[in-house]
Amino acid sequence: MSRSISYTSSPLLASRTPVWRSKFVVAVIALCFAVLATRAAYIQVIANDFFQRQGQVRFVRTLELPANRGRILDRNGLILASSIPAPSIWAIPEDIERDDPNLEQLARLLEMPLAELNKRLADEDKTFVWLKRQVDDSVAQQITALGLKGVYQRKEYKRQYPEGEAAAHVVGFTNVEDKGQEGVELAFNQDLGGHNGSRRVIKDRMGRVVEDVGEQIAPVDGRDLQLSIDSKVQFFAYQKLRDAVLLYKAKGGSVVVLDIVSGEVLALANYPSYSPGQRRNLSGGQLRNGALTDSFEPGSTMKPFVIALALEKGLVTPETQIQTAPGHFMIGRATISDSHPQGLITVNQVVQKSSNVGTVKIAMQMQPREMWNMFSQVGFGQKPLLPFPGAVSGRLRAYKTWRPIEQATMSYGYGLSISLFQLAHAYSVFARDGDLVPVTMLKSDQPAAGVRVISPKNAGAVRHMLQMVTGVGGTAPKAQTMGYSVGGKTGTAYKQEGHGYASKKYRGVFVGVAPIEQPRIVVAVMIDEPSSGKYFGGDVAAPVFSETVQQTLKILGIQPDLSVKPQIVAQAQASQESF
Amino acid sequence: MTRLNLLLLLALLASSLYLVSVQYESRRLFSELDKARSQEHRLETDKERLQVQKRSLATPLRVERLAKEKLQMRNATPAITHYVNYHAESSPIKGVR
Repeated sequence: MSRSISYTSSPLLASRTPVWRSKFVVAVIALCFAVLATRAAYIQVIANDFFQRQGQVRFVRTLELPANRGRILDRNGLILASSIPAPSIWAIPEDIERDDPNLEQLARLLEMPLAELNKRLADEDKTFVWLKRQVDDSVAQQITALGLKGVYQRKEYKRQYPEGEAAAHVVGFTNVEDKGQEGVELAFNQDLGGHNGSRRVIKDRMGRVVEDVGEQIAPVDGRDLQLSIDSKVQFFAYQKLRDAVLLYKAKGGSVVVLDIVSGEVLALANYPSYSPGQRRNLSGGQLRNGALTDSFEPGSTMKPFVIALALEKGLVTPETQIQTAPGHFMIGRATISDSHPQGLITVNQVVQKSSNVGTVKIAMQMQPREMWNMFSQVGFGQKPLLPFPGAVSGRLRAYKTWRPIEQATMSYGYGLSISLFQLAHAYSVFARDGDLVPVTMLKSDQPAAGVRVISPKNAGAVRHMLQMVTGVGGTAPKAQTMGYSVGGKTGTAYKQEGHGYASKKYRGVFVGVAPIEQPRIVVAVMIDEPSSGKYFGGDVAAPVFSETVQQTLKILGIQPDLSVKPQIVAQAQASQESF
Repeated sequence: MTRLNLLLLLALLASSLYLVSVQYESRRLFSELDKARSQEHRLETDKERLQVQKRSLATPLRVERLAKEKLQMRNATPAITHYVNYHAESSPIKGVR
């Protein structure tokens, strides 16, 4: 019995199976287990990384969490620029079914002819074709609803600019990648742009996210930016400027409104402008933020600085008599002349009548260094401290190189150049009792501390002269505005062309302060090449100043300081309010 | 002994099945949460879009045009404005001049 296994004690059921057979079966089964165990060890220990990776490739996805670009707000929290989703449509031409009737629908939604769409999809070798970038969200949803094969969407954002062209130069714009290209969008691109986050997730076969894997990197949204710009002031300034440029058939113009108490820029507008949302067919001229990037010879608007310096030095008092007859004056071989000879006038009247001869006679009593000091203290020849792309510093040459004739012409604004913004900023010296306020594009609530340039008494004296300019006998009675006292200075300058001056091309400038007793704003207006016959600053720029001041002070809620003849019709019987 | 083992086996089976169902439930809830989150995000962007739209319908340009053309309004000037001084310390009625 030793050659076989006994399964039972009954001899009837005795098996004839040899022992080696059963051992063989056991051995085979054991081998199978051994193979399984090896395989398990291979999968779970030796090649574990490979299988883990392969598994993740199949169900783990990394999702990008897009960060929103910060909004740009005006001082009252109104939106100047904001990003909204605008999906871009793309396609894989190979996967498109050519005879799908929905293609026609797609072409209609993308606002392109069917032929154009087919042309884009013609190249079957391409695996990626943009059909249209940044369509409206609602259009994208309709395209999704069509359920076309081979048409996909990519989530993108589009910048919206509700204020349009009125604030275009201040706000600027972004490119299709949502990166700032101009204006504040460029200057504060770092702050506005956020950082995208990401998360790794497990997706099931339906594409639903069922589990988070590992750590999630949260997106960091861009910071909202609140500008000092008041969108209403900005709009009115732009509107009045545009009307004036069109009326006087000028090439362009700029206007700057500064709040001199806080140093905030309330408005900064240029014409011609553009719509930031539609930037096709843009010309360089439209893009220029002329108030900051273009410098020009300021003409007579320089005179108050020379007079202020003379008052400060004690060379003259406002009542000192200056002989300007016969209306011209020789320096070396050059003649300086007034357009209207004035005779014997006071220093007040030199500013009021804008007498070149009078100003030069006062200026020639000073050292070039003193004048240079004054000019640089009010910011000429230096870049304004604004974080704005392309702001120019203008041109103010070192005083050592000044020849007498140059010192003379500089006193009435030729031979140096500044931007309109610098001009407005410099006038804050007169508006603020003699100190220069630091300017800002961002909203600030505190009054700013300035840097003293001239004494409060002399600043007041110059303000009085500026007021006379807008009064009877001044060069700019058109700068007056209803209800508010104003003061300012006109400037009419020949435009430089090549090495000389163009004979019939002018710039009309007006810069002023309001209300004159307790100043709150400085407004500077420049009209470039008015060609309808009128070109004096007092004729073309002063009316824009007047209207801008009127609107701005009203928006700021400042009570008129001049009494106005009321025209309220139904005033007599005000009914009693019930309470 | 066998009986106890059998009992433990049953318990193990029950626990495993429960684990499967809990796992399933948790994934279902998670995907629902995720859906809700993405809806929240969509609503947020919708809100942003509508705000911008509202703003562009209320720009000074449009308001002024409508006021002038449709409502025949004109700009207020100091001549047709009655200015009221408000003193915080006195009653609002006395402050009216």
